Amino acid sequence: MSVVDTRSPSGNAVFNLLAGTIQRIPPVVWFEWRRAFTVSRMAWMLSLMAFPPGLLLLVQMAARNDPRVEVISILIFILCACVVCMMSVFLWATPVLSSELEGRSWVYLAVRPYGPMAVLIGKYIVAVSWAIPVGLVSATLSVFVFPTEEPAHLIAVHGGLVLLSCLAYSALFLLIGVIAPKKCMVAGIIYTIIFEVAFAMIPAAVNMLTVQYRLRCLLIRWMEFDKALAERNPVFLSYFGDESSAWHVGVLLGMTLGYLIAAGIILRYREFTAAIETES
Amino acid sequence: MLLELKNVTRLYGTVIGVNDVTLSLAAGAHGLLGPNGAGKTTLLNLITGQLSPTIGSVRVLGMGSRSNPNLLRRIGYLPSTEGMYADVSALEWVTYLTRLQGFNAYEANGLALQALERVDLMEHMHRNISTYSRGMRQRTRLAQAIAHNPDLLILDEPFSGLDPIARHSMTSLLEGWIAEGRSLIIASHVLHEIESLTRSFLLLGSGRLLASGSTDDMNELLADVPSEVRIRVNKPRELAAELLRVGLVDAVKLIGTEDLSVSTALSAQLGRFLGKAVTEGEYAVSELHAVDDSLQNVFNSLMKIHRGSV
Repeated sequence: MSVVDTRSPSGNAVFNLLAGTIQRIPPVVWFEWRRAFTVSRMAWMLSLMAFPPGLLLLVQMAARNDPRVEVISILIFILCACVVCMMSVFLWATPVLSSELEGRSWVYLAVRPYGPMAVLIGKYIVAVSWAIPVGLVSATLSVFVFPTEEPAHLIAVHGGLVLLSCLAYSALFLLIGVIAPKKCMVAGIIYTIIFEVAFAMIPAAVNMLTVQYRLRCLLIRWMEFDKALAERNPVFLSYFGDESSAWHVGVLLGMTLGYLIAAGIILRYREFTAAIETES
Repeated sequence: MLLELKNVTRLYGTVIGVNDVTLSLAAGAHGLLGPNGAGKTTLLNLITGQLSPTIGSVRVLGMGSRSNPNLLRRIGYLPSTEGMYADVSALEWVTYLTRLQGFNAYEANGLALQALERVDLMEHMHRNISTYSRGMRQRTRLAQAIAHNPDLLILDEPFSGLDPIARHSMTSLLEGWIAEGRSLIIASHVLHEIESLTRSFLLLGSGRLLASGSTDDMNELLADVPSEVRIRVNKPRELAAELLRVGLVDAVKLIGTEDLSVSTALSAQLGRFLGKAVTEGEYAVSELHAVDDSLQNVFNSLMKIHRGSV
C-alpha cells in the first residue's frame, strides 16, 4: 500500500501543487461524471441540444428563399457557440463551489491534500466534457437544416467555435463562482449581460476583453466574411479587428488559462469554511 | 508533539471565534469540551487548516496547519455537519475521498472496504446514502475519516443525534482506535460521552481555554469551588437552619417536604457533620449525593471562576 508521494525535499511548491492536483483530477472527473448521469440532466441537455436546429427549422419553414450562407452561419454561431454553450457551461461551472458549500460537503474535500484544486479542475473538465458534445451535435444538426455548398466547412468552423466557447466560458463562470459563491448564479448572469452581451458589442478596447469578441472575430476570419464586409462597409471592421485567427485562438486559450489560475489562487488563499454558522 | 497553539486568536469580523488560546498536547486521546458556541468547531478548523489564525500560530504533528498537504495526509476529520452526497453509496463516497488522499483506485477501494467493515457497514455499503439512518450516515462519515489510516483523528460532535445503541457502537469503535495507540481529538458538549474515552480534557468557553488536564487536575483546581449536594432528611427545615448557623453551606434550598439542596465548598466537613448527626439520632438522613459529580460540574465551576463569580 503506498501513496504516490508528491513531496520533494528540495520543496518546489508549485511543482508539488501541480503534481498533486493532476494526480487527483481523474477520481474527481470519474466521480462527478457518474453523479451527472441523471434523467433530468440528460433531458435538459437533450433539450438544449435540440433547441438551435429546431429553431432554425422554424426559420427555414417561414423563409421564402434559402438564406445566404453568412446569415446561416451567424444564426448557428449565435444559437450554438453562444446560447447553447454558454447556458450549458453556465449551469455546470458556475455553481461548482456554491453547491459544495451549500450542501456542506466542501469540508470533506477541503481536508484532502490538494483536494480543493483537484475538485475545481476536475469539475471544470466535467463541465467542458458535457457541454462540448451538446454544442457539437447541435451545431452539426443546425448546419444540415439549410442546404449549403460546403457543410463540412461550416461544421468545422462551428465545431471549433463551440470548442473554444465551452473552454473559455466554463473557465470564466468557474472564476465567477469562486469569487462570489453565495450569489454565483446572479453574478454570472449580470456579468454575462453587461460584458459578454453589452460591452462585447461596443467597438472599443473594452470589447477585446470579452470572450464574445474573440469568438465573433474567429467566425468572421474562418468563414472569410471579413473581405466581403470590408468591401460593403469598412466600419464593420471595427467590430472584428484585424488580428489573425491564430492570435484570437491564442488569446482565448490564454484567457481560459488565466481564469483558471485566478480561480485556483482564490481557492488556495480564501477561507470558505462556514465555521461560525456550524458552531455546535 | 501532537498539537501546539501559541496565543491563537481567530476573529470573524468583530466576532471572536477563539480568543488567545495557548496549549500543547502530546500524542494520545484528548477531549475538547464546551457548550454550543464555545469555539470548538473554530478550533478544529484551525487545527485542520481550513482557517488561519488572525493572531498566533498553530502547529499540528510538528507542521503548520494552513492548507498543508503533508499534514492533511496524516489527519482524518469528521466535521459536525453531515454534508454527504445523497445520490452515491457509502462505498463510492469513501473510496472517492480516499482517492483524494492520493491513493490509486485499487488501494482506495481496499482501504474504503476496510474502513466500512470497521464501522460495520459492509451489509449496506452499496445502497445510496439517502436511504441510510442517522446512525448509518454517522458511521459512513467516520469511515471516510479513518479510511486512509491517519495518525490523528479529529471528531467534531461524533455522537450528535445518535440513538443509545449507535452511541455505544461509536464509543466501542473509538475505544478500539485509542487502544491501538493512535491519537484522537474529540469535541463534544455532552460530557459523559467523552469521559468514557479519555481522561485528558480541554475546556473551552466563549472562545477561551478555561482549563486543561485530567479530571483529577480539575477537581484539585476546583477544591474550593462550591458544589451542590442533595440531602433527603426527615427534618429538612431544621437541618437547613443548623447548616447555615454552623457555616458549612453557602446556600440552601428546600425541595418538597423531605429534600434539601445545599451549596457547599466544604463537602468533607459537611459529610462528617451529617455522619455525626445521624449517629446521634438527631436526624434521619436517607439519601445523600452530589447533584453534578460529572465533568459538567467542573465545567460550570470553571465558567464561574472565569466570569469572576467565584
